[in-house]
Amino acid sequence: MGRSAGASGRRLVASAFLVARFLPVWLATCALVVVAAIAAPAALGSTSWSYVLPNATVLAIAALGQMLVVMHAGIDLSTPGVISVGGNLVAGVGAGADHNLPVAILTALGVGVLVGLVNGILVGVLRLNPLIVTLAVGQIVLAWSSKYSRDVVTNQPQVPGGLSSWATEKQIGISNVFWAGAAITIVVALVLRYTTAGRRFQAVGANPRAAWIAGLHVRRNVVLAYTAAGTLYAVAAVLLAGISGSIDPAFGSAYLLAPIAAVVIAGASLSGGLASSTSTWLAALALTLLTQMLVTMGLSTAMQYIVFGAAIVAGMVVSGDRVAAVLGRGLRPVKPPPRPVGVGGQSTQ
Amino acid sequence: MTRKRQALAVLLVAAAALVALVAASGGTAGHASVSGPSGYVGSGKPMVGSGGGFGEKYTAPAPTLAHTLFHANLLPAKGPARNIALAALGRSTKTVNYTLALKCWKDNGCSTGTGGKLTVAYVEGFGENTYRQMSKMEFILQALTYPQIGKIIYRSAHSDLTQAIADFKSVIAQHVNAIVTYPDFGDAMIPVFQQATKAGIPVSTYAWGYVTGPGSNYLTVVGEDTCKLGKTFAYVMNTQVKSGNIAFLGGFPGNPLSLGWQKCEQPALNPSIHVVANDPTNWDPSKVQGIVAGILAKYPDLKGLSYEDALFMSQGGYAAYKAANIPYQGVFTYRTDESAMGCLADKLKDPKLKIFYYTAGNSQIRVALTADMMKLAGGKIPPEIVFPIQLQNQATRDMCTKGYPPTASPTSLIPLSLLHQMYP
Repeated sequence: MGRSAGASGRRLVASAFLVARFLPVWLATCALVVVAAIAAPAALGSTSWSYVLPNATVLAIAALGQMLVVMHAGIDLSTPGVISVGGNLVAGVGAGADHNLPVAILTALGVGVLVGLVNGILVGVLRLNPLIVTLAVGQIVLAWSSKYSRDVVTNQPQVPGGLSSWATEKQIGISNVFWAGAAITIVVALVLRYTTAGRRFQAVGANPRAAWIAGLHVRRNVVLAYTAAGTLYAVAAVLLAGISGSIDPAFGSAYLLAPIAAVVIAGASLSGGLASSTSTWLAALALTLLTQMLVTMGLSTAMQYIVFGAAIVAGMVVSGDRVAAVLGRGLRPVKPPPRPVGVGGQSTQ
Repeated sequence: MTRKRQALAVLLVAAAALVALVAASGGTAGHASVSGPSGYVGSGKPMVGSGGGFGEKYTAPAPTLAHTLFHANLLPAKGPARNIALAALGRSTKTVNYTLALKCWKDNGCSTGTGGKLTVAYVEGFGENTYRQMSKMEFILQALTYPQIGKIIYRSAHSDLTQAIADFKSVIAQHVNAIVTYPDFGDAMIPVFQQATKAGIPVSTYAWGYVTGPGSNYLTVVGEDTCKLGKTFAYVMNTQVKSGNIAFLGGFPGNPLSLGWQKCEQPALNPSIHVVANDPTNWDPSKVQGIVAGILAKYPDLKGLSYEDALFMSQGGYAAYKAANIPYQGVFTYRTDESAMGCLADKLKDPKLKIFYYTAGNSQIRVALTADMMKLAGGKIPPEIVFPIQLQNQATRDMCTKGYPPTASPTSLIPLSLLHQMYP
């Protein structure tokens, strides 16, 4: 009876931690919708959603990739590079012809896998600093993308019509891009939560040392995280190319910090551990809606930057990670329980 | 075993991607024409202008002028400014080495091989779009017409003000003899302009890169009268839109080009026309898409829009209209004439889509370099070299030009064969 009560108590505390970690982004998004309804109702109109939902989806997919890396206490700054090269390949290999589209998409995805794999090996196997190494890899990829764009894409910047048509088509009044993104998000969430590989992946992120002691392959999971992230960035690139309809040299440049902001606001800790796919998706939606709201309100550019920056700071202040830490301190027993004493009076811990 | 298979699968995908990447980047280099005229010359006759001085002839082929200015008579009105423009555009007839030009363009600088003692630099705050890349080639082609120029330097600060200032200081320290620039960051560049001027290095800007103090802080500003451009935009809006909501879009915040036309269009508009938005886009199509989407969300009945860049509206702007399921209709005034916008209009064939445009003016950079060179030769250069404005109507003059890359301006003077090698 006592044991059962203790177990349910622990489950309750664990649930409280989880709710505290991921609840703020939901509350913040609700608050944002209320503010938008009052200050800029047009931002919630159907015309606005037709822009917000597809673009939020692209950010969400990129943020999901970043989330997988952040779960392992890493960071990936190659996102703009992969998105840029992915988009350019869709246009360049696609050459404006629908029959080239499958090869173009596969090439873009393959390059995403390749860049992610390189990042993963450099960080997971060679133990290089992820901040520096992913930035460096991203710059190399971006340079290649820039050259490829100049040599091939400038003369044919349009993506194949089949992709752009698909991206503008709607099912139940909502863009195909959104449904594709939602499906990917659900798959990522289910894999992380309900598969052995996903649970191992989470365990390694939460405590690599304990995971290693338990016999899990830490390095392999880190490499996997970066590879999966690279793949998701490439997916984001394909979707963004479909939305944009054409590629320009600055394609993807907006995706350096926004995915990281979405992940952190969604409650993930930059020091690794738990993260939520659905909360990350919601944070991406909130950031995109906020941008749209500020434009719709007709604020000056300077004021837009100020409000956007302030909103991110506020999001960080009430982020789930901080709330969870505060809750953890509050729930910690005032007096530590007496340590069990082993043979010879030595602590067993 | 399964894990090994998974790892093998990942490696196979990566290898396939690598192969595809190499294949994709292969491109077709083609064989460059060895040499040819430095700019479009057409039939080459009749010639406009006469006389000369300071190492220049003040004469240019009428077809060259008509190609880049729409009409051969759209030259600066004042004597010295007109002479400099004629001298610069007239250099299109001089023969240059295309292979060298292409190499110089790809390598962001080169030695010209003439043994000339002068070094010239094109330094800009941002250079990562087709417009700027074409301007770079126009600069190189113009520089190659001067045997006294032995070295060409190019720098782009990739939209970073600190880097832009550092680049400028760097070329001053390298004792270049002349600088041409587009001041993306406006008056923030004044201290380095003054530093160069004090060091005896002439600095000229093009595309109406107006920074305070032409003639004192720097040599001269070349471009169209952007205030007149704004008033002409307003005239089009007043006569075509008559009343309703319109929007302005600009480039980087505070850039002189956008400020130039916007400050003159606004007061010249009918009182019944309301400017409901005025947003900078950093000349980034993705940003254009977001901003136009935001404007359409609040003003789905938008009747007109003024902006510099026709290309970005054909990309991001059109995508925003399409996503919002709002017909791409209204009155649009642009400062540039990229082929893509005209081809889009031709495809849509909508009489309610009315487009009026000016030339992108890539060739203005040639005038800026020639102004620098004439200054070095002892010439007196006016602080402003201003081209008159004449907007073109897409309905009567199609900007979709056969043979040109969609992102390129057909009024550029870059020879078409060379342009095809730049963008195969």
